[in-house]
Amino acid sequence: MTDALLQDLHSVKTMSIVGMCKNAGKTTVLNWFLHHSRRDSVLGLTSIGRDGESTDVVTGTEKPSIYVPAGTLIATARDMLRLCDVTREIVMTTGIPTPIGEVVILRARSDGYVQLAGPSITTQLQTVSRHFFDLGARQSVIDGALGRKSLGARAVAEGVILCTGASYNMSMEKVVADTAHIYRLMNLPKAETIPAAGEGLGEDFKKNGEAMVTGALTDTMVVPLLKSGVLRRGRIVVLDPSKVLLTADTLDKLALRDVRLETAQSARTLCVTVNPVSAYGWRFDKDAFMAAMSEAVDAPVINVKEELA
Amino acid sequence: MITVTFDEKVKIGLQYALETLHGCSPFGQERIRKLRFYTPAERDELDVELGNVERCARAAGDLKETYDKIMVLLCQIKDIRTSLRRCRDGETPDHVELFEIKGYLQRLEGLRPLFAQADEMVHFEDLTFHDPAPALAILDPEATGSRGFYIPDSATARLKEIRQAKKDVEEHLYHAQTDGEKDDLRLKRTRICAEEESEEMKVRKAMGAALAPLAEDLLADAESVGRLDFMLQKALFAVRYGGVRPTITDTELTLTDMVNPELVDLLSEQHRAFVPVSVALDQGATVITGANMGGKSVAMKTVALNVLLLHAGFLVCAREARMPLFHTVKMLFDDLQSIQSGLSGFGSEIVQFEKALNEVEQGYSLFLLDEFARGTNPDEGAVIVQAVTRYLNDVHAISLLTTHYDKVADCARAHYQIIGLRDVDPQAIRRELSVTGEDGVAVIARHMNYGLYRVEGKSDCPRDALNICRMLSLKPEILDKIEQGY
Repeated sequence: MTDALLQDLHSVKTMSIVGMCKNAGKTTVLNWFLHHSRRDSVLGLTSIGRDGESTDVVTGTEKPSIYVPAGTLIATARDMLRLCDVTREIVMTTGIPTPIGEVVILRARSDGYVQLAGPSITTQLQTVSRHFFDLGARQSVIDGALGRKSLGARAVAEGVILCTGASYNMSMEKVVADTAHIYRLMNLPKAETIPAAGEGLGEDFKKNGEAMVTGALTDTMVVPLLKSGVLRRGRIVVLDPSKVLLTADTLDKLALRDVRLETAQSARTLCVTVNPVSAYGWRFDKDAFMAAMSEAVDAPVINVKEELA
Repeated sequence: MITVTFDEKVKIGLQYALETLHGCSPFGQERIRKLRFYTPAERDELDVELGNVERCARAAGDLKETYDKIMVLLCQIKDIRTSLRRCRDGETPDHVELFEIKGYLQRLEGLRPLFAQADEMVHFEDLTFHDPAPALAILDPEATGSRGFYIPDSATARLKEIRQAKKDVEEHLYHAQTDGEKDDLRLKRTRICAEEESEEMKVRKAMGAALAPLAEDLLADAESVGRLDFMLQKALFAVRYGGVRPTITDTELTLTDMVNPELVDLLSEQHRAFVPVSVALDQGATVITGANMGGKSVAMKTVALNVLLLHAGFLVCAREARMPLFHTVKMLFDDLQSIQSGLSGFGSEIVQFEKALNEVEQGYSLFLLDEFARGTNPDEGAVIVQAVTRYLNDVHAISLLTTHYDKVADCARAHYQIIGLRDVDPQAIRRELSVTGEDGVAVIARHMNYGLYRVEGKSDCPRDALNICRMLSLKPEILDKIEQGY
């Protein structure tokens, strides 16, 4: 299964790895992916903000560092360079500022550990990806942020790996349900056409049977319209999944009323990874966790502790 | 020394003029941002600059492509002066600094042939660039010409050994199976990485030391880049607004058909044209009078603008110009006074005046007073401005005043009046108004001639206000009474 999955992961031009929480196994997945990249093809690697510490600053647990093969292009803040032990060729300064220095692009002239601290703004991430491709990269990989924030990462990546694990919550049911909810939001279908934004959700929907919501879509907007029966058979388009702040329950009700939720920007969740061991001490039954997660999403699910070790 | 506040720059259109410039390099942008005015003692440097700008402007048509290429290149130059100074002072530059210095040198290398091409026609005076090749050879010892910066294995024999060892360990690590094996290899690798780091450090230190003796030249080149950048912008500015190189005089200031770029652009947007203004001034006080909306202030601001442009090394926006160099330029505009001073408008005006006058009396200066003492009652105001005008006649400065007050002009050395509605037939305007039904004020503004003419001898009371009343068809009974009052 991993071979087919790897092929799938290599098929997208830009990919981001996002976690439901800390210690979900993002870095393990990234290292596994880097290890299995074809050595002759160039990857560009960066992160949203700071990542890749060798000890987790929040929980104090030992964390794996990111180990890249020679040839990889890395975009990271200038102050992070001294923490990278690859033999480095500086190829570009991007002019993108971060609190720990300008984002610099280097080419790893040897294998080695790197510390990532990339841009934190979507458009800047897109710029960095473009630089990667200009410099000969075949694929751009973004080590994403956590939770809801990273839903916006869709604007910068075609494909997403969603990482979840026991660290998210003590209740396995909650981990599975919340992960499935995020998964569902991330995989909203792409809108074929974008309705013109008009007078508001209710008015537009009444008139055209469809509406574009440019800001956030919340329960307080949707529930009254569900109750009054306005929302029925049609579609609502949002800019990207991070704009959807609906509860799972409201999402279900919309589906029941035949109201499709679509996004203007679309990505694809390539796989979901699970880590049954929590950094806080507890662990889930790995088989039960795998089974529940596989049931809840229709993408491949893999266990970072076993299949990728 | 000339100092100009931001408000004053905005007021006279200097800020607008500066904002039409597009400094490409950080050094050029800095020169535009921190505009410096040449003093009379720096006349020779100013002459060099004006000559360069004038020749640059003259060649702008033929060299358009070359200028464009130079500007594209200048845009890519980064400010690496801090890194160069660090090298000069014996500190060790890091990888990114060396990368940026290399990039800077490559840009300079690219600039040289373009500059030579322009130089053939322009003959730049006192502007040269050093050959960056020796410095580049330090940072690119294998002469790869690549944009990136990389310490090659061949930098030292030791580095070559270390890198090879690192590579071997990494190859083993890639194929290692057991955790124990991996841990051993990782430990070994960490040691090698530390050795690599310290060896690279030695190489970087050596590179920094080799660059140190060249640093001053490279810093000077940054200055030259800034000068060239600014020069090109000044030349293009002159091409846009018709610049002329003034003849430098001892005292007299003559501007023939001068324009104000901000108003030229503003009026052209409204499909109207700026009427060029001519004026000849000399030591002593000159007074400009004229109707409301007649453009007295515009004339005065345009004089100030062009004087400052000259002192900043620009060609001036006029058809012909003869200008002296000033010790200082002081402006008192009615709405520039500080409101916070706690004094009344008039009081603070007097304080400002006193301060400015002190400065003006230090050397040959230009002193501009716009509607001075307008904040007090007309009878006293007239007396005050008359006295000030008489006093300024004997101050070693060119003083230019605009005023509404009576008989001030008679006290001055010279008197200019706005042409205004002098040559317009009120009947014609009235007819035009009755036919088109347009806004009367707009029609009058369109017929207003903003040009200046020199009044010789005693002047009659202007009748522009009466004319305006006539054109706007004020009641005939009132008009009659006004006529009787003149």
